[in-house]
Amino acid sequence: MGNGKEEDYNFVFKVVLIGESGVGKTNLLSRFTRNEFSHDSRTTIGVEFSTRTVMLGTAAVKAQIWDTAGLERYRAITSAYYRGAVGALLVFDLTKHHTYAVVERWLKELYDHAEATIVVMLVGNKSDLSQAREVPTEEARMFAENNGLLFLETSALDSTNVELAFETVLKEIFEKVSKQRQNSTRTNAITLGSAQGGQEPGSGEKRACCISL
Amino acid sequence: MAKSNGENGPRAPAAGESLSGTRESLAQGPDAATTDELSSLGSDSEANGFVERRIDKFGFIVGSQGAEGALEEVPLEVLRQRESKWLDMLNNWDKWMAKKHKKIRLRCQKGIPPSLRGRAWQYLSGGKVKLQQNPGKFDELDMSPGDPKWLDVIERDLHRQFPFHEMFVSRGGHGQQDLFRVLKAYTLYRPEEGYCQAQAPIAAVLLMHMPAEQAFWCLVQICEKYLPGYYSEKLEAIQLDGEILFSLLQKVSPVAHKHLSRQKIDPLLYMTEWFMCAFSRTLPWSSVLRVWDMFFCEGVKIIFRVGLVLLKHALGSPEKVKACQGQYETIERLRSLSPKIMQEAFLVQEVVELPVTERQIEREHLIQLRRWQETRGELQCRSPPRLHGAKAILDAEPGPRPTLQPSPSIRLPPDAPLPGSKAKSKPSKQAQKEQKQTKATGQPEKPPAPDQAMVEAAAGDAYPPQHVPPKDSAPQASAAQDSAPQASAPQDSAPQDSAPQASAHHRSQESLTSQESEDTYL
Repeated sequence: MGNGKEEDYNFVFKVVLIGESGVGKTNLLSRFTRNEFSHDSRTTIGVEFSTRTVMLGTAAVKAQIWDTAGLERYRAITSAYYRGAVGALLVFDLTKHHTYAVVERWLKELYDHAEATIVVMLVGNKSDLSQAREVPTEEARMFAENNGLLFLETSALDSTNVELAFETVLKEIFEKVSKQRQNSTRTNAITLGSAQGGQEPGSGEKRACCISL
Repeated sequence: MAKSNGENGPRAPAAGESLSGTRESLAQGPDAATTDELSSLGSDSEANGFVERRIDKFGFIVGSQGAEGALEEVPLEVLRQRESKWLDMLNNWDKWMAKKHKKIRLRCQKGIPPSLRGRAWQYLSGGKVKLQQNPGKFDELDMSPGDPKWLDVIERDLHRQFPFHEMFVSRGGHGQQDLFRVLKAYTLYRPEEGYCQAQAPIAAVLLMHMPAEQAFWCLVQICEKYLPGYYSEKLEAIQLDGEILFSLLQKVSPVAHKHLSRQKIDPLLYMTEWFMCAFSRTLPWSSVLRVWDMFFCEGVKIIFRVGLVLLKHALGSPEKVKACQGQYETIERLRSLSPKIMQEAFLVQEVVELPVTERQIEREHLIQLRRWQETRGELQCRSPPRLHGAKAILDAEPGPRPTLQPSPSIRLPPDAPLPGSKAKSKPSKQAQKEQKQTKATGQPEKPPAPDQAMVEAAAGDAYPPQHVPPKDSAPQASAAQDSAPQASAPQDSAPQDSAPQASAHHRSQESLTSQESEDTYL
């Protein structure tokens, strides 16, 4: 499907993909935004991102999905990465237990850098490799519930639940935003906390709300 | 050994792990394998079969990062002349570096002939010296078991470097194997550094031009001399360089600088991959090679200049900036740069002409360092100061050492005296001081004095008799107009004037050529 038309969106939501190196963040990104998957997608160094516009009800929402290196070493340079993010997919590889075991560390990292109100989904990726599973679904689901996280198992390879994962997060963000708008007196760009979003729409285009929750 | 700058046309990949489903093998021949080298291309976009896969002259599958059409083809006679000049330089390297460094720099700016690129990079980077100083070291590292923590990460990355390059396309193929060996060796060589993912593309580029052992030592030089701290814990060096880059941008392109400022775009959001991979993942391949030629000669200032040129041309005018209204659009613009500004001739010209010097970079470095210390405290990983290119590296080499031998590494008998068994990883304090005080690449304080005993041992060593093909039948099948290389030889004295050891390795042009082909990674 790819990106929607650049002009026709009401909202821009920045969503970040985080998790250990090799869990499939880059392929989740490419699957969602370009319907592509590659066994040999390049190691992410620095920052990658892509967008896709989805309809949530009558609103067109442009999802800006950010992807970065998962390796421990890169933690040092990611604060810029988190700035303005309203959603996060915390990805682990359900065939590699150690990528799940460090999820709490990732959560801490996330909350250290992002807004406390950020919408987070725990994603167990590579569900196509069912025989190699090392993390029971129930265990991960329980963890998510106990920590206020959404949860899904996905496969970027065969597309299972990828759309659902992103759309669920976007919907959740949207609902939060809508509630805010009801409570707020302003009708346009709503920012709470540090306004780092800074995504001003072009003058000739439909105005978009740049949201930081 | 996998081939790198081979002739045009496909080359059969080495037989690696065979995965099910054979599609196409590249070529018939002794190496032709039933290995499904395409099996690693399991992506949807390749699902509908390659009937035919064309490889460009750099080894890339046509359409991927390689050359788009024959743009800046150097005329063959010019190429041959350049090769002769380079052969002469490599043959008398120390002399050239001591007295005619500017000429070397100029020739690096013009582009190193592909047939000699791998060798030249080794000489420029000091990797060759390192190898000579550490005979057997790589083998030792190669045979040692690595730290499983690092091996795990490295293995995950092997198929993710230049997967569209013939050398790396095969899972478990020689290219990926060598990549593993080099990266693993580094984690053993510098366990406190371990592995950083950006080292993989760097090592991969090196491996496209030279065997694993040589590539290893060049990687060492890059990580320790050219870009110290880039791959270390905390990645502080790259953060500092991001600030330096942004700061330098102000003078180079005030418009771009202002825009990036207003948009609050952290340099790390665009320059991380640029710098850490030395643009190997950003530019068209012919440009990558030209940049690396200059980088090995002149150091990190080339990297800065390339970054500044790209920023200037992507965002340097009000019209360009108008099209990038938001943070996202701006970064997106920097990620999909216009081919025009990345094109070899244009880019090299701009880089050579951009008046950004080592001094400015170092001055800015101090400013940013101070700022860091004020806002974030001390650096956690103090890296040694970086050396700005081949001359600086050479000058920093401690102690006397044998003159570089231009042939395949001569293995000395075990009792031969060596100038120093282990290479020091840091330049001496004196050299460091000199680095800081020197304006540009200064005069060498102490030209390396050859160790007579060492050289005599080498000379006496069985210099393997080479089959000497007449020059014309050398692999390059040179054109008839190949003008006498002596005409383009340096003005300075004939090699015999130099120290006696010259005779040991300055043989006739013919024998050099044949040894070249042994040493050259072809």
